[in-house]
Amino acid sequence: MKRFQSILVAAFVLLAATVYLLPVSSASAQSSASLSIVPRKNYTIEPGKSVKDTITIRNLDTERPLELSLRVVDFTYSDDGGTPKLMIAEDAPQTTWSLKPYLKLPKNVVIEPKSSKSIDIGVSMPANHGAGSFYSAILYSSGSSEGGNVGLSASGVTLVFASVPGEVDQNLTLKNFGAYHVAKDGKPASYVYATMDIPYTIGFTLKNEGNVTESPVGSITLKHMFGEETVINDINPNKSLALIGQERTFAACIKLQSQDVNFNGSASQTKACAEPSLLPGLYTATLDMYYGQNGNNTKDLSSTAHFWYLPLWFIIISVIVLLLIAYFVWRIVSKVRGYSHRKAQPKRSTRRR
Amino acid sequence: MHHHRRAQFHEQVNSWHHVWSEAILSFVLALLLLVTPVSAAQMRLQDRSLYVQNNTPSVETSYTVSFRYMSPESIGSVSFLFCVDPIPYHECVTPPGLDVSGATLVDQSGESGFTILSKSTNHIVLTRPAGPITSAMSSYKFDNIINPSNTDLSFSVRLRTHATPNATGTQIDFGSVKGQITEGILIETQVPPMLIFCLAEEVADNCASTNETFYKDMGTLEPATTLSAQSQMAVGTNATGGFAITASGIPPSAGTNVIEPLLLSTESKPGSNQFGINLVANNAPAVGIDPQGIWANAIVASDYNVPNKYKYVSGDLVAYSPNVSLMKKFTVSYILNTSDELKAGVYSTTITYIASGRF
Repeated sequence: MKRFQSILVAAFVLLAATVYLLPVSSASAQSSASLSIVPRKNYTIEPGKSVKDTITIRNLDTERPLELSLRVVDFTYSDDGGTPKLMIAEDAPQTTWSLKPYLKLPKNVVIEPKSSKSIDIGVSMPANHGAGSFYSAILYSSGSSEGGNVGLSASGVTLVFASVPGEVDQNLTLKNFGAYHVAKDGKPASYVYATMDIPYTIGFTLKNEGNVTESPVGSITLKHMFGEETVINDINPNKSLALIGQERTFAACIKLQSQDVNFNGSASQTKACAEPSLLPGLYTATLDMYYGQNGNNTKDLSSTAHFWYLPLWFIIISVIVLLLIAYFVWRIVSKVRGYSHRKAQPKRSTRRR
Repeated sequence: MHHHRRAQFHEQVNSWHHVWSEAILSFVLALLLLVTPVSAAQMRLQDRSLYVQNNTPSVETSYTVSFRYMSPESIGSVSFLFCVDPIPYHECVTPPGLDVSGATLVDQSGESGFTILSKSTNHIVLTRPAGPITSAMSSYKFDNIINPSNTDLSFSVRLRTHATPNATGTQIDFGSVKGQITEGILIETQVPPMLIFCLAEEVADNCASTNETFYKDMGTLEPATTLSAQSQMAVGTNATGGFAITASGIPPSAGTNVIEPLLLSTESKPGSNQFGINLVANNAPAVGIDPQGIWANAIVASDYNVPNKYKYVSGDLVAYSPNVSLMKKFTVSYILNTSDELKAGVYSTTITYIASGRF
């Protein structure tokens, strides 16, 4: 009987332990950290109206479910480029352009391995809301790991932009314009006025002091000192934005190269700067730029800049040519002097006599 | 003799003086004659705007174009030319999908009395009996315009005013307005932009698999030894703006004790408290791999791109691409150095890598 009791107790303890441990191990299992999301959403919403949309998230992991927690965070610019500075701290202050109060989405989502799920989101703008650009980001966070010195956690972000139509304050000022070297091999990006390296891009830096994001369009004409012209027809092919308050640098390729690529089974096109064919010498760049929101004035900005492109081979050849010219001039001068000297000498000797 | 020469000189100079005065006068007159009409033709229409009632791609909607006439000239026609590029002297490329051939002029204010003379896919000409400008600010509303289909391109309306009734001859004023079609809620015909991202100790190039290890035990901290580890992430996007990856999280800590992160790109120094990362192959210590993948525009941020130099600032950009990028794999190297004074404990951290689009 005692033995039976012992077996019963042992079985109970084992069962209890199993029941206790199973959910724990399941709860502590690391979520997948392989996801596919939409990187950006744009909406136009009139005051008092709302927009309903779906966002599709895909779990690329073949074995683990993707467990994500979703929340809205604000963002701003981090520099003069297009990288968002996410305000992920829970107590981060709300920005004046925040969509937080108007953007509704579920708090959690679980996606089975190798499948996708569409989640409903909604943006509602209150009536009498002022016109302008409003933006925040949806942050999808996978669970963090437990154990070790360094744990890894993957998150994805969708940038959400909403434009509220109406009369807005549009104010871009041109801060800089000219030949521009993008950051490369540890060298920071910079405007150049004389360069030995061929410039791939013409840059222009705009300060946005309005209450809307701006995406400028227009062209740049590049004219060589001997008249040859190169036109950059699209100064902002990626539709990049200057955020509110940002001093944004746009780098327009002098020669833009498009390439068809297959991304994840679908056709896509990428654009990159190719090496332009520029002659050495002085260049004049002329910027003709337009910007403006729907229903508001289209504003224009224009500017002119100059730069020298003097490659090393050109400098070397120029120096050699100059030296050769100097040498020949010296030879000619010497010959003329020698001739004059010879001509003058008999006269002097005659006089002496 | 001297007097005679001086008189001759004065006579000569005096005659030149007359010649110069006449020449300058003629030149100024010629300038006035030539420059005045040119400058009148070069004036820009001001306060130009375009309001697209529904800016969803390919829908039929109404456009309202407004502007202020500038030259006090007689106007008989206005040309509205729809092009991708706003620059008036560039070749006009019709915005894909746009069609204004069915447009009707439904409202006009300011300078009025216009009717549509002609219309084609991308061109409308308004005409009226030529008359002087009486109210500068004017507005014209057209119905039945089909929007461009392409959200990647903005478009423009190039405006020109003429004295003639058919928009020919010398232009009087000119200017462009900019329009933009935004993404609809559902665009079935376009491949939606996507951002693919995965993270683990080891990942496949295309994110199809990982080794499912999401933490690393770096070993026991000792002042003489540099502890190192590595993790991998793969990323790609078909979004034209590209991607950005930031690294966030507090440095390794045990209770209130923290191993200080390297705020500047610095070499590993055993015996001092250091925590840092980089995304390239190193030999001091031997850890990490250079980015893998042929796609050249996805790159490591400059501060995390120097072999044998490490840095960690929470929120820093560590890798990015300025435009479309096929899948690329980055290997992150971690180093931990400790001094004698570091208090005993289990030091740990969780680094969150956030992949986002760019704007």
